[in-house]
Amino acid sequence: MTTDIEINLIEGLRQQSPKAQQQMLGRYGNAVFAQVARLVPAVEDAEEVYQDVFVKLFKNINMYDATQSSLKTWISHIAYNESISFLRKKSVPLIYYEDREGEAEKLSESEVEATFGHPNPETVQLIRAAIKHLPPDERAVITMFYYEEMSLKEIAYVTESIPTTIASKLSRTRKKLCKIIKMLQS
Amino acid sequence: MTEEQLNALRAQDTNLRDAIWQEEEVRPQMPADLNERLMQRVAAQQEKKPRRIVWPWIAAACAAGVLMIWLTPPKVTETDVVAKQQPKVEQPVKVETPQKAEAKPTAPQVLETPMEVKLAKVTPAVTKPAPSLLAQETPAAEPTAAPKVEEAPKNLVAEERTQPQQAPVMLTERDIPITRPENFRYTPEELALMKKQANEAYLKWVELELEIAKFDLENTAQK
Repeated sequence: MTTDIEINLIEGLRQQSPKAQQQMLGRYGNAVFAQVARLVPAVEDAEEVYQDVFVKLFKNINMYDATQSSLKTWISHIAYNESISFLRKKSVPLIYYEDREGEAEKLSESEVEATFGHPNPETVQLIRAAIKHLPPDERAVITMFYYEEMSLKEIAYVTESIPTTIASKLSRTRKKLCKIIKMLQS
Repeated sequence: MTEEQLNALRAQDTNLRDAIWQEEEVRPQMPADLNERLMQRVAAQQEKKPRRIVWPWIAAACAAGVLMIWLTPPKVTETDVVAKQQPKVEQPVKVETPQKAEAKPTAPQVLETPMEVKLAKVTPAVTKPAPSLLAQETPAAEPTAAPKVEEAPKNLVAEERTQPQQAPVMLTERDIPITRPENFRYTPEELALMKKQANEAYLKWVELELEIAKFDLENTAQK
C-alpha cells in the first residue's frame, strides 16, 4: 500500500526534484545495495549496479504502477533484474553446488526440519557456509523470504515468476542447503 | 507446498533464519559517498541536453508537402479555356464529319423510315428494340441515351435532316474574349485565309484599275 510520504516522493521524482531523489536514496539506498551485493560479489561491481538501478529508477518513475506493487517491491524488482543482467553480461565466474543427481530431493522433510529447527550455533555456522554454495537466484529468493519476510507474491513479482514456482524453489533450496550441510559435515 | 506451510516453516527454521541474519550483518556496507557520486552522475545526465530528434519533423514536413500538392486545385491554364470553348463551337462539327462519310450508303433506308432513325437514339446500347416498340416511344428521352455505333448511319441522316432546323450557334465576344492570350495569335488556317483574301483583293484592284484606264481611254477617244 502506498503511503502519503511515498506519493509525495513519487511526485517529486516525476518532477526530477533533486530533493526527492536524495530522499529516495536515504530511504531505500541501503536495502538496494544489500540486495545488489547479495547477488553481485565484488563491491566495485555492486556499486556500479547500484548506480544503474537508481538512474533507471529516476528515469522510469512514470512506469511505476501503485496498483501492481508497493514502491519497495518495484525497486527490488529493478535491482534484481539489473543484478542478474550484470552477471549475465559480465559473465562473472560463480561456483555453486548443483544437485544433478537429485540427491537433495531424496532427503525427508523431518530430516530437513531437524537440521533447521533445533537451535544450534554450530549448525548456524554450517548453514552460513552452505548458503555461499547456492546459485545467486536461489540465494536471493531464500533471503527475500527469510530475511526480508516478503510474501510469495512479492517474490514472484521481483523475480518475474509465479508464487507456486517460488514455493517449490524455496522447498528445493531448503533441501539443497541441508544436503550441502551434510556434505560439509562429512 | 502452500504459502501457509512455508510461513510455518519460516517460523520453525530458526537456524536457517539466524544464519541468514548473520550473513546479512557481515555483508559489506554501502560506501558513504556512493549516494553523492550517484547524485553527481544524475545531475550530469540531466545537464546533458537531450538530443533533438529531427526525423519526425522531416517526415511531417514531407507529408504536409505531399498533402498540399494533392489538395491544391489545379491552376486555370490555356488547355482549360480551350476545353471550355470546344463544346460550344465544335459540337456540331464533331457530329457532322463522321456522319457525312457514312451517311451515303444508308441514305435510301433513311428516307423510307425516318421515325425509326430518330427513335433509335433513345434505346440503350445493350439490345436493339423492335420497330413496333420504337414507334410507341416518345422522343422526349432522346438526349439522355447514347446511340449505338451500329446505328450511326441512320442517325447521321436523321441529323442531317434536323440540322437546318437547329438554331445556328452564335459566338460572341464573351465566348471567345479577345483578352485571352490564346486569341492574340492567328491560327495557320486563318493566316492562309487572309493571304488568299489579300490575293483576291489585289487581283480585283488590278482589274478595277484596268477598267478605269479603259474608261478613260474611251472618254478621251470620244472627245
